Amino acid sequence: MADVTVDTVTGIVKINKAVAVQDMGLVINPKTAESQIHGGCIMGICAALYEERVMDQQTGKMLNSDMEFYKLAGIGDIGEIIVHLDITPDHDKRGVVGLGEPAAIALITAIANATANAIGVRVPEVPLTPDRVLAALERRNA
Amino acid sequence: MQAFEYANPTTLQEALGLLGSKWGEADVLAGGTDQISLMKEYLATPKRVVNIKGVKELGGIQNSKTGLRIGATVTIDELLENAEVRKSFPALTEAARGVASPQIRNMGTVGGDLCQRPRCWYYRQGFGLLAMKDGKSLVPEGENRYHAILGNGGPAYFVSASSLGPALVALGAKIRLASSSGHRDVAAAKFFVTPQNEHAREIALLPNEILTEILVPHEGSKSATYEVRQKEALDWPLATASVALKMKGSTVSSAHIVLGHVAPTPWVATQAEQALAGKAVTPESAEEAAKAALADAKPLSGNGYKVQLARVAVKRALLEAVRARA
Repeated sequence: MADVTVDTVTGIVKINKAVAVQDMGLVINPKTAESQIHGGCIMGICAALYEERVMDQQTGKMLNSDMEFYKLAGIGDIGEIIVHLDITPDHDKRGVVGLGEPAAIALITAIANATANAIGVRVPEVPLTPDRVLAALERRNA
Repeated sequence: MQAFEYANPTTLQEALGLLGSKWGEADVLAGGTDQISLMKEYLATPKRVVNIKGVKELGGIQNSKTGLRIGATVTIDELLENAEVRKSFPALTEAARGVASPQIRNMGTVGGDLCQRPRCWYYRQGFGLLAMKDGKSLVPEGENRYHAILGNGGPAYFVSASSLGPALVALGAKIRLASSSGHRDVAAAKFFVTPQNEHAREIALLPNEILTEILVPHEGSKSATYEVRQKEALDWPLATASVALKMKGSTVSSAHIVLGHVAPTPWVATQAEQALAGKAVTPESAEEAAKAALADAKPLSGNGYKVQLARVAVKRALLEAVRARA
């Protein structure tokens, strides 16, 4: 679940809070599992708001192949992240099922949904950059 | 990185004597936050690197009745934390706060902010300052979302990367450039130039000169800077505006409104300045001034959204300025 603020005159989306609830069988080490999901959330925020490979169509060269131009969230950009491990006897019985970054994928959608909920129109492509959000707002107002 | 000779002078005269007469002979090193990146990418391959951090006379911030003197090797963080600057020139403090990250603010210098090379990704990827290929620039038909929307008739399409430049232009600052034969003071507005060919520079500094200090006159204006940025962390703004307003009571007697990150130089928005003169700053008059500021914008294929962002920057900077103390 995601809670976002959209500046409707600049098209800038900021994430305030993300909640990830994870059902993943028997959790052997809750601390590292939580940390892993936390990281997945940050990846989701980066993908939803910032990350993009920019290719020059004329030369075939990637233009943002460095840390200056390839946008990633910093500490000020990730808001509050809450991870809840859904540990129950039933889940424990399923045994170890493994954990990757499922939060990353789900959070992209959650952020896009929260943005649509905030501004009343869908931005159909991620990352939700100011130009795309402003274009969506223009469609809404048209 | 190409091998180079390293010089570590302790006086300005000694440093000036180590410079060359052509670009590429000797480069000046201060904070190194841009210079080292340029050298790593072979975008700068100087034969000699002259470190000026050991030159004491280039440091320090001094306030006097006439104005403020900011030494070239003052770090962005020193500028940000300076109480005199904050009191008299909030536009400058806010511009300093906009510089990417604490690490860069701690290393990067005021002189370096003004002398840094453009952040155009074509330039940084080795396509040259003007990104020319087969006689024309790659930018107009390429990835130009961060490029210029004003002053972009060509051949330069990049935006001036300086964070402090627009604020210094708005505040009527002068920039002192020294060479072995003396020094000259250049108005901040004239310091930034649009290069007309691949080998020209985007600043008035000559290869045999060092930017030594910045002189900001006390004019009692209300000033502010507003940056529109997508990220809080390490990132370039999408558009900025610095304003300095001379007030008569609650009305503006004259305004300086300068946009950043929208043109190859800090962009003086003359029409907006005229639109605001004689009026009080209200959300309505600020909106009118913002529209006037961007009236001549000619966006490229992918950066039309920056027109709106620059308008927002102007409006918010104006409203911020009248909240600030004179």
